[in-house]
Parts: sequence; structure tokens; C-alpha cells
Amino acid sequence: MVKVYIPTVLRKITNGQTRVEAEAADIRSLLDRLEARFPGLKGQLVDSQGNLFRFVNVYVNNREVDELQGLGTPLREEDEVALIPAMAGGAVGGAFSLEQGLRYARHIILPEIGGQGQRKLLRSKVLLIGAGGLGSPAALYLGAAGVGTMGIVDFDTVDLTNLHRQILHGHKNIGRLKVDSARETVNDINPDVQVVPHREALTSANALEIIGQYDLVVNGCDNFATRYLANDACYFLKKPLVDGSIFRFEGQATVFMPGKGCYRCLFPAPPPPGAVPSCAEAGVLGVLPGIIGVIQAIETIKLILGLGEPLVNRLLLFDSLAMEFREVKIRRAPDCPLCGDNPTVTELIDYEAFCGGPMATTGG
Amino acid sequence: MVKLTAAQRQDIFAHALEGRPNEVCGLLGGREGRVHKVYRTRNKANSPVRYEIEPQDLIRCHLELEANDMELVGIYHSHVFSEAYPSNTDVRLAYYPDALYLLVSLMDDGNPILRAFRILKAQPTDERGEIAEVPIEVEAAEL
Repeated sequence: MVKVYIPTVLRKITNGQTRVEAEAADIRSLLDRLEARFPGLKGQLVDSQGNLFRFVNVYVNNREVDELQGLGTPLREEDEVALIPAMAGGAVGGAFSLEQGLRYARHIILPEIGGQGQRKLLRSKVLLIGAGGLGSPAALYLGAAGVGTMGIVDFDTVDLTNLHRQILHGHKNIGRLKVDSARETVNDINPDVQVVPHREALTSANALEIIGQYDLVVNGCDNFATRYLANDACYFLKKPLVDGSIFRFEGQATVFMPGKGCYRCLFPAPPPPGAVPSCAEAGVLGVLPGIIGVIQAIETIKLILGLGEPLVNRLLLFDSLAMEFREVKIRRAPDCPLCGDNPTVTELIDYEAFCGGPMATTGG
Repeated sequence: MVKLTAAQRQDIFAHALEGRPNEVCGLLGGREGRVHKVYRTRNKANSPVRYEIEPQDLIRCHLELEANDMELVGIYHSHVFSEAYPSNTDVRLAYYPDALYLLVSLMDDGNPILRAFRILKAQPTDERGEIAEVPIEVEAAEL
């Protein structure tokens, strides 16, 4: 005789009996014997194909039959069989899908981020000015990290000369709008990200309207006119500006928090037109924007999560040839025309006239 | 009403935090609604959004409860990213009408939350059921 332990859930069928005995050569024939005595029991344990339901664990001498021979597991005199429903469940349908839970698992396990921080990232809205050298690594990492809404403003198309550094775009995308190519690449990595393409140049006419839709701005522009425009617009809208720039083998990055200093505090006036050559004119080490753009991505995530010490009032300088980082303290200038004590710039201006050069250069 | 000590609740929270980002699960043995022992079990699903008590741990606990003349007071598991409230999956897979289902939420990282529920279904295999919260009384120290 085999002794069978009946769990609470099935005792209605066994008339309240906790243990029953039966003769059987294996589990399958045991279930048939029990069914003959307690009609309806087998239907609770195996499906119409005769397979065990997932929610019932069957044990022979305290070993689960999955580890033995399943329903064919042979039974001997005095063997003890236990039928114990599984205890299972889980949070599917919660704040994260199963896929998100796995995608962001390495973030969530960090106590500094956790589930709450990851939700903040997913709710965040970041605007990238430019999908070029700096925007590429920033977009890739911010997208992978689960920044929920990513606006990208860029009017330009992908050019073969971009590809040695603008890693958002592939060879097949030459000639396409950068925002479209960028959206495809980011969504290929992470379909959670809603990429909002702004297929235009940032101008005094549209800057407040576009930037106003986002929590903060990552500046990856390639010209002085746009740099001043982004600076002024972010100040007026009180949006943090994560700034970065590159030149040949060197780069710099900083974070402008409204009221704590701005680009005009550092550089009240642009250089004379033509004094600073563009990437197209001077060349640039292709890897360099990778370093600076990734620093901008890290600062962006820190700001969203309120983590660590933001790069505020500090200008980080990187020299790739010396392989050296240096930092200079910067502070709000009381005589700054924008954020100083007696501001003279109180609305967006004509930046092309101010800088004496077009906003629409290519390269980045 | 289910009664447990602050130390037992702490043990459940510690288990949930150690297992993060995966869900953790375990059993509560006791008598007459009072928890006497917390049994940590392994999560066979090994997932941030699913749990299944490792079958070998399940039978070990059943046998131990029986040997010590204890009842299965409750089944606990953690929700890492969501509320301490039974999900649809929890209800669908609730096969223990007499046990309480206790849920830990780790949504607020610094402040885990424990709540207890009874999941009432006409048949244990029903997909849906009623969820009734059961108050938890936390005792300062074991008597």
C-alpha cells in the first residue's frame, strides 16, 4: 500500500480525509485508483492531455516527481506520496512589466536608485539639442537607462563625414534626418523610450515652446549662436542645462542650474566670427565626444535622481592627449547680462546677429 | 487578525531586501493566528516579478509544520516595484484558502510595508476572487 497525503484544498473531494492508502505501481495508476474512489480528484491534478497541472507538486518520499520520472515514477510498498499545491504568484501588472523588471534589474538593485529611482527615470523628460557627436552617446545611454521621454531637436541629415563619431547613426542612414535615425537606434536598444523628434533648428521663435516641454536639457550643439540661445532659454524657463563642448582633442562639461551661474557668466560675449573653427574646419578626435557626451548623460541621470554632487559651479576640462581631467570653479557673475544683478538680456534675442554667424553649421 | 513579533516582521523585511531585485517568498507557521516561526524558502522563479516556492522547500516546511503541530498561518512574498496588494497573478495562483497571503512592498526603498490578505475564491483553481485585508498586530517582543 502507498500512503497519500491529501492537501486541504482537495479534502472536499476526499470527504475530509488527510491521508488515504492505495495500491499502485506508479503515479499515473495511483491517480486512476484515487479517481475511482474519489471522483473529480484526478481532474484537479492533471489536464485533459494527462499532464500534471503546474500548480500541484507531487512528491514521492519527499522528492518531487519532476526530479524523478514524472507521472511514470514507480511506487513501492510503503512509499509516501504527497500532493501539495504550489505556492506561487508575483507582481506582474505592477509598476513594471516583467521585461522592465529584468531590463532595469541592475539599476534597481542599487540602493541609490531602486524601484523608485527607476520609475523617476521612466517619468523623466529630457531634451537633447543635437543628435551629433555629443548627442549620440548621451542618447544611447540615456535611452538604455530608461529615460522615458527623449526629445531630440536637430534639422540636419546624416553625412558620411559624421560617422567617425556620431554613433547613433549607421552607414545605411546617410542622407536621412538625424532625428529619425536617432529614434530608430534608441528604440532598437530600448522600446520603452518615447523619442520625440523635433525636425527643425532651435531658434528664438521655437526655443521656449520646445524646451518648455522637458525637465532638463542636454546641450550637444555645435555653434555659438545655439549655445547662447539654449543658455538664455533654459535660464528663462528655469531648466537645468547640462552643457558639453569639444574641440580637436579637448572637451569640457558643466551643469548650469538657473540662478547659480550660466554660460554668459563664463563667456559674456561670443568670440569674433571665424575665430573658433568648427569640427569641419579644425577636425576632432572621433572618440572625444564619447567621453564628454557620456559625462553629460551621467550628470543628467544624477539630476533626475537627485544623486551625488552635480557638476554645478564646476567646469570639467578634459585633455585626451595628456589624458587628464581638471576642474575649475565657476560662479555666477553679478554683472552677468542674463543672470546677474542688473540683467540687460530679458528675453530671447537674435542670436545669429549676436554671434555674427549662422546657427546652422554642420558637424557637431 | 494575525499576530507576529517585530523581530519576525524585521526578518521578513530583511529577507525581501536581501533578495532584491527578485521577489522572495516564505511561510509562516503558528497556531491560532499567531506566528511562531518564519520559514524562508527559495524562489524557484528567480524573478523580479514572479515567485514560486521551491517544491523541495515546500514539502520540508509542510513536514516541519506537521511535526511541530503548527498550522500554516500565512504565505509571504515580496513585490519589489509595486504595492503590498495581491496582483491578479497572486489571486489566480492562490490555492490555499485557509492561509493568509502576506505581501511586502519595497516600492519605498527605505520603508518596506507588510500587509496581510485572505484570498477568497469559490474554487481554489478559479482565476478570480475576493481580496479581504486582515489586520496585522505587531507585538514588541516574543512572549
